[in-house]
Amino acid sequence: MISLLGVLLVRILEGMFVVGLVGSTVVLLITFVEDAELLLGREDSNHP
Amino acid sequence: MSSPLQPAANLGKRVRIVVATSVMLTFISFWRAAAIVLNDLASSAFYACGIAEQAVGKSAPWFIVGVMLFSFTVRAVYVESCSMFVRGGVYRVVKEALGGTLAKLSVSALMFDYVLTGPISGVSAGQYIVGLLNEVMVTADAHGWIPRAIHNIFHGTPQFDVNWTSVVFALAVTIYYWWENIKGIHESSEKALWVMQVTTVMVVLLLGWSAFTLFKVGWQHVPLPTPGNLHFSKESLGFLHHSFPDQSLAQKFGILGIMIAFGHSVLAMSGEESLAQVNRELAHPKLQNLKKAAIVIALYSFIFTGLTALLAVMLIPDAVRVSVYKDNLIAGLAMYMYGPEILRLLFRGFVVVVGFLILSGAVNTAIIGSNGVLNRVSEDGVLSDWFRFPHRKYGTSYRIINMIVGFQIFTILASRGDVYALGEAYAFGVIWSFAFKGLAMLVLRFKYKGERGWKVPANFHIGKYEIPFGMASITMVLLATAVINLFTKSVATISGIAFSLVFFAIFTASELINRKKHALSQQHMNDQFQLLQRDTVERESLRIRAGNVLVPVRDYNTLVHLRWALEKFDIHDQDIVVMSARVSRFGAAAYDLAPEQIFSDYEQTLFTRAVSVAESFGKKVSLLVVPASDVWTAIVQTAQNLESSSVVIGVSSKMSPEEQAFALGQAWEALSEPKRQFVLQVVHPEDHLDTFRIGPHTPTMKDEDVLLLHRLWLSITREPGLENVHHHEILTEALTRFAREYGAREREEILKELKRTGNATRLAGGPQPPTAPLVRKEGGDGSFPDRGP
Repeated sequence: MISLLGVLLVRILEGMFVVGLVGSTVVLLITFVEDAELLLGREDSNHP
Repeated sequence: MSSPLQPAANLGKRVRIVVATSVMLTFISFWRAAAIVLNDLASSAFYACGIAEQAVGKSAPWFIVGVMLFSFTVRAVYVESCSMFVRGGVYRVVKEALGGTLAKLSVSALMFDYVLTGPISGVSAGQYIVGLLNEVMVTADAHGWIPRAIHNIFHGTPQFDVNWTSVVFALAVTIYYWWENIKGIHESSEKALWVMQVTTVMVVLLLGWSAFTLFKVGWQHVPLPTPGNLHFSKESLGFLHHSFPDQSLAQKFGILGIMIAFGHSVLAMSGEESLAQVNRELAHPKLQNLKKAAIVIALYSFIFTGLTALLAVMLIPDAVRVSVYKDNLIAGLAMYMYGPEILRLLFRGFVVVVGFLILSGAVNTAIIGSNGVLNRVSEDGVLSDWFRFPHRKYGTSYRIINMIVGFQIFTILASRGDVYALGEAYAFGVIWSFAFKGLAMLVLRFKYKGERGWKVPANFHIGKYEIPFGMASITMVLLATAVINLFTKSVATISGIAFSLVFFAIFTASELINRKKHALSQQHMNDQFQLLQRDTVERESLRIRAGNVLVPVRDYNTLVHLRWALEKFDIHDQDIVVMSARVSRFGAAAYDLAPEQIFSDYEQTLFTRAVSVAESFGKKVSLLVVPASDVWTAIVQTAQNLESSSVVIGVSSKMSPEEQAFALGQAWEALSEPKRQFVLQVVHPEDHLDTFRIGPHTPTMKDEDVLLLHRLWLSITREPGLENVHHHEILTEALTRFAREYGAREREEILKELKRTGNATRLAGGPQPPTAPLVRKEGGDGSFPDRGP
């Protein structure tokens, strides 16, 4: 039973980690573009 | 905006105190802010990869690179929190989103992070220094430069015990910075910028030389970060080692192996919290500058920490990388560059110097940061006022500093110089404070309705609901890593939880005690004082006349200067303003203080004494409390805003009057135009007085210069048509001619002559005190004698 719960916890954590990494990659790519625009002075200031 | 905090009833009986709630700061550029953060963040490059490789094997650099890429997204979380709260640190954000209990837990984790930053940095710096000393001795012995007798005593080449010598070094650095902080060290962004400039020189040399070496001698393969390439040590599996003693865990759960390795590498991004702490000091436009600082920080640490980790595995042979250089990997990298040995040894020396600068700076940052955070939670009533009681001589919160440094010394000794053990424990504080932060920010996406200058991207809408996919993703990675670290870092889990629980218990008990105590003292204070809140200090709204006398007070036992001011100044002509600056140093994270927090028990006692002194003279004084990052800045900004003509201070126990005037003059120079001059009067306990003019002023003239000017005047006024010429017109003509000659070909000659006469004057008058260019010392009786002819 404990082993089963352990495996379930591991699978949940793995799922969170993989989905999280995918989403973080999207954030990373979007912020790269925003950063480049900011450094090149093309960004709209303080957009929410 | 201003709003009385108390009802109007019985106001006549109470003393009115104006409490300004905006901290007075000198604002800094995004470069300086980035330098302050990088002094903490970039220091992990010196030990992160060595620790990660011991835990997960040769593919560790890829995980360090992955963590540094992920740190770009953590930085985005901090930018969003700082765009919502000027002090968007962990405590503020978690308290806002998840309540006081979890805020106390998150601060406990953050304290664990801070307390370990000092020991890991100090011990790591020691490892680099001792490593170099031992290497130098090996080289010297190989050349026969070590006498045979010494060689015989040590039964070979003399070598220091690396771990214990590092412990001694770490203790020495920690004790040094403990004393500096007790005295009240001034943390300057200038110094942080300088350290980062030197570090940048090293990074450029390191990367350039490494590229050349790769080209000349080739490189070793760095295994890709796949489950099959992971080789966990017994220690790096922690509690899971008992369940999977055959090391097959990574293969059994492929992604779990990646998560464990990622968890062993997260300490590479420690230090992001400092971004929230410097945000308040960033110059306008704040959000733009915050973003720029965050970009600089993320790029720099990615290049330095990430690429250095990769290069270390590519260039240092497997046989020596972990066995010899695991705790001083960059030094090892220097030794395996392509080139003559002497050059490599010299470069290693440079690496050690830079490592010493940045790592010992991190020891100091850890003390300042944790002192700031504990002061902050203390102001919020979560830590007993006893901790915040100022040092009798230096006015610093010495009890908090003693407690932090006590923990650090205990940690250094308990670690016995083992950087790996320290790093494993350190990661606990780092990942849990980030996980709390991410979770709180996610909750605030639904809970917080106030202003938000920027959002972590990747948000989409379902109907009228916004789904924060990006923020949720970052939080999931942080939480999953934090949970898995609980199982794989047994030492960190036990020590981290024990430490956090101790702090949590202290916070909870203090809060209960404070709640009862504050209810009583609040009642007493309400009877005596009326607090009026103001966002900024403005003369008109405070009903104070221009030309007033500002009297800063700090210690209620030394109010001699207030007595002097009350005795000397007529309040019919000039108002007297008694001011207390509530210093909130860099690192005092979290959020704007409520007036009751700024006006604490200490200020209450201080102002009670000040009012009592004023009453003994039968004179009225105006009372003012201002929060500030620096006392001198607070004084000059208040004097400027109130249009004060004089500032009266007591002589300091740690600075001479000249040094006090110098510090005030420097703060005055940092003010923006237009600036007002004022007179600084430093009162000695025996009523003796030193007087200085702050701001541009008429220079002191020697008697012979005055006579020369007068003789010239006599001579010129004898000329026909020049009978009515004034002394000042002659001076104007002389100075105009001087400026013309100085700007032309006679510049060098003038400078040479000035050096000669300057040296002669100094030799005649003995050593001179430091004097700011815009500070002039006047007569000892406080008068300004008219020296004009």
